[in-house]
Amino acid sequence: MEHRLPEIKAGGWICRKCRKPLESRAVEITYMGSSFKVELPGCPECGFTFIPPELAEGKMLEVEKLLEDK
Amino acid sequence: MDQETLREFESRCTQEEPPACQSFCPLHVEARTLAGQVAAGKVNEARKTLERHMPIPPLGGWLCEGPCKEHCLRKDLDQALDLPLLERFCLRAGRTLPPLALPATPHRAALVGSGLSSLAAAWELTRKGHRICLFHPGPPGASLRALPPELLPPEATDEALKQLAALKLSFEEIPKVSPLWLERLCLDFQAVFVGLDDPALSAESLGLRPEDLLLNDITRESPRKNLFLALPQPPSKRPFIEALSAGKKAAASVDRVLNGVAPGTAREKEAAGPTRLRAFPETERPKPPSRPADPLRPSPEEAGEEARRCLNCNCLECLKKCVYLRHYRAYPKKYAREIYNNISTVFGIRKANSMINSCAECGLCREICPSGADMGSFCAQARLEMVADRHMPVSAHEFALEDMLFSNSPEISFLRFQPGLEKIRWLFFPGCQLPASMPEAAGAVYAHLCSGLDGGVGLFFSCCGAPARWSGRPALTGRVAAGIREAWEKAGRPRMILACASCRLFFRAELPEIETVTLWSILKDLPCPSEKAEPERLALHDPCASRHDRATLESVRAILNRLGQATEEPPLSGRLTRCCGYGGLADQANPALGLLYARQRAEDTGQPLLAYCIMCRDRLRAAGLPGLHLLDLLFPASTFEAALERPSPGLSERREKRLLFRRGLLRKLWGESPPKEENMPEPPLEIAEELLPRLEDSRILRSDLAAVIRHAALHGPLFAQPEKGIFLAALRPRQVTFWVEYEERPDGSYFIRNAWRHRMLVPGVPGEGAESPATLEGFAAEGGRV
Repeated sequence: MEHRLPEIKAGGWICRKCRKPLESRAVEITYMGSSFKVELPGCPECGFTFIPPELAEGKMLEVEKLLEDK
Repeated sequence: MDQETLREFESRCTQEEPPACQSFCPLHVEARTLAGQVAAGKVNEARKTLERHMPIPPLGGWLCEGPCKEHCLRKDLDQALDLPLLERFCLRAGRTLPPLALPATPHRAALVGSGLSSLAAAWELTRKGHRICLFHPGPPGASLRALPPELLPPEATDEALKQLAALKLSFEEIPKVSPLWLERLCLDFQAVFVGLDDPALSAESLGLRPEDLLLNDITRESPRKNLFLALPQPPSKRPFIEALSAGKKAAASVDRVLNGVAPGTAREKEAAGPTRLRAFPETERPKPPSRPADPLRPSPEEAGEEARRCLNCNCLECLKKCVYLRHYRAYPKKYAREIYNNISTVFGIRKANSMINSCAECGLCREICPSGADMGSFCAQARLEMVADRHMPVSAHEFALEDMLFSNSPEISFLRFQPGLEKIRWLFFPGCQLPASMPEAAGAVYAHLCSGLDGGVGLFFSCCGAPARWSGRPALTGRVAAGIREAWEKAGRPRMILACASCRLFFRAELPEIETVTLWSILKDLPCPSEKAEPERLALHDPCASRHDRATLESVRAILNRLGQATEEPPLSGRLTRCCGYGGLADQANPALGLLYARQRAEDTGQPLLAYCIMCRDRLRAAGLPGLHLLDLLFPASTFEAALERPSPGLSERREKRLLFRRGLLRKLWGESPPKEENMPEPPLEIAEELLPRLEDSRILRSDLAAVIRHAALHGPLFAQPEKGIFLAALRPRQVTFWVEYEERPDGSYFIRNAWRHRMLVPGVPGEGAESPATLEGFAAEGGRV
């Protein structure tokens, strides 16, 4: 399933280990057996993904609730 | 859930039954709806409402005698609603479209006479598309034209006949009727209706014998084959409404005969009679009836004034008292259907999950409902099935269950005999929340019990398991109960003293073999620890779990009486008390509605509260109402004013206080110091002040923050903003990922700037929390994952 989200900004964070600025790339996130490919900022080298608070408490929470009621 | 359970519940809620005005109307005109529409100025809609049940409206609307007036509840207040006035207003002021007929059928039927019943039957049958022939001696509608114009204006008869002609009714004037003529008619047509309310006809002239006139009340069938009749009625029997009703019912029978269906099957509901609706109209002051200058032609203002006198009879008693039942904008019968559909859903979104989990299961609706419908037990059953079918949203109760398991963990839970004794007769069980809010008072109570009761008093600190039961998890409930039973047996089966009303309900349901008493019925008979009543009157709030516990309700009042404390009973109290929103984990599944429960109760009392359930006290305090727990009066630890304003502890504080209660008492009374591993140092954290309420709302504990920081200290954070000196760490210790934004202070402490959480699994986050289905397996299959 492909989901469009408003562009998520990395907000000045860099990867602590690799010292690289975060770049937007497609990531697979999963919940209750459903997977979604979304564009999220993360470290281009080690692959750690950044989830900002607005996303976690906004769209992500909405989708979690929806999947729980499915 | 089987259909029978649903039907049983549905049959108790009478809200969908018609009001008395409608059930006693032979035509079942929806008077309540019509009055509401006229009152709202929607006269065209009101006319449509009238036409839905009233045959041949141009005549019926004028001639209706208003039998509803005898059954209108308004009549006991001042005078019944004048529905005929509103009907005449609708006819005059409301627009209507020309009547439409269904596609033509090949069926033919004959009507005899042109009185009101025959015209009503013609209206019903032509609109069904049948070919109807109306045989009339003399000009059509002659008997109606003979009525005084103030009763029926001549233009109304013209309009009715015009409409029937437009519906392709064929009028056949006959010079004379005879018995032989009727016999032939009955042979020529599949069904024949005779309206003997037309004075130009008589039973004798048609050869109808007295036994032919013995009709079935509903079908209007005569013992003679294919013959349906309306009989003339004396003025005392409301001849017009009876003629309209006879014509309408006979037409329904004729229609069935034409379609080859038995005329009498399943027509019981057409009879006029009492309703099952238990109407509780708002009591209001008398409102004199509208007296229009011209009663035949009321003005819109006059009609509106009369329509507004309608009491809008509904039951809805439970909605008036329960914020939850009001919240979903319908009534229990409808909710039960939605819940049943939710449970039966195989594919698609289960829209009622939140509704099912937001009920406090407090039992108030059952006390109020005239037929005892209990939304709480219906929701409880739905929860059991949702868990069994693995459709219970895991987030609804997860925090409460984790908190329960925390309270039952060896880190918190303990049972000790009274110091120095090897046998006990009593076991004090303060519950998990009293020590989490008032640890000192809980300790003082224990000391008081030890000094006042003979035979030794033990202390058992644990959670009873109510959250597991509320969340619909029988296996988990059973495991917690079994743990309590085992500990109680090992302690020599003492009598248990419970401080919490919800614990008592739980024990009675799950551990009936344990003899329990409430703390209050014990304290009532012990010397009063305090002598000092407060001068201020307090509103005494009973917890919902005590509504049927008379001994407790009386004990609390006896204690207050002895103390000399002045209290007042809020509008709903004792058996009818309201829930604070903690019951049934309502606030866990739906925090916004949970707050409304508490606010509603706070509004009931409107003055400082006195509760004897700690969750009631704390939740109402959090909703803005100053209040005390009864132990604040009995074991005062601060000034009265300070106790009233003491804030409700946050979630982290509750856990910390449980730890303090355990460690403090174990050290003080039993000389035990915590083992080393319990003393694992927490990283020194300072949390930004403005972040605290958000952490509460997101249910992020201080211990969650500490776990993330501890992990980051060992392995390094994920992200950084080096120029600002801030870091971002994440950890997924269970099925939740926590993010913490922080600064490191030169003294080695951490300043928490922000924190948030999500349940979705994102690649790269460290931690052992698996993907969420494992959580479902955990709690739903009740493996007790935490």
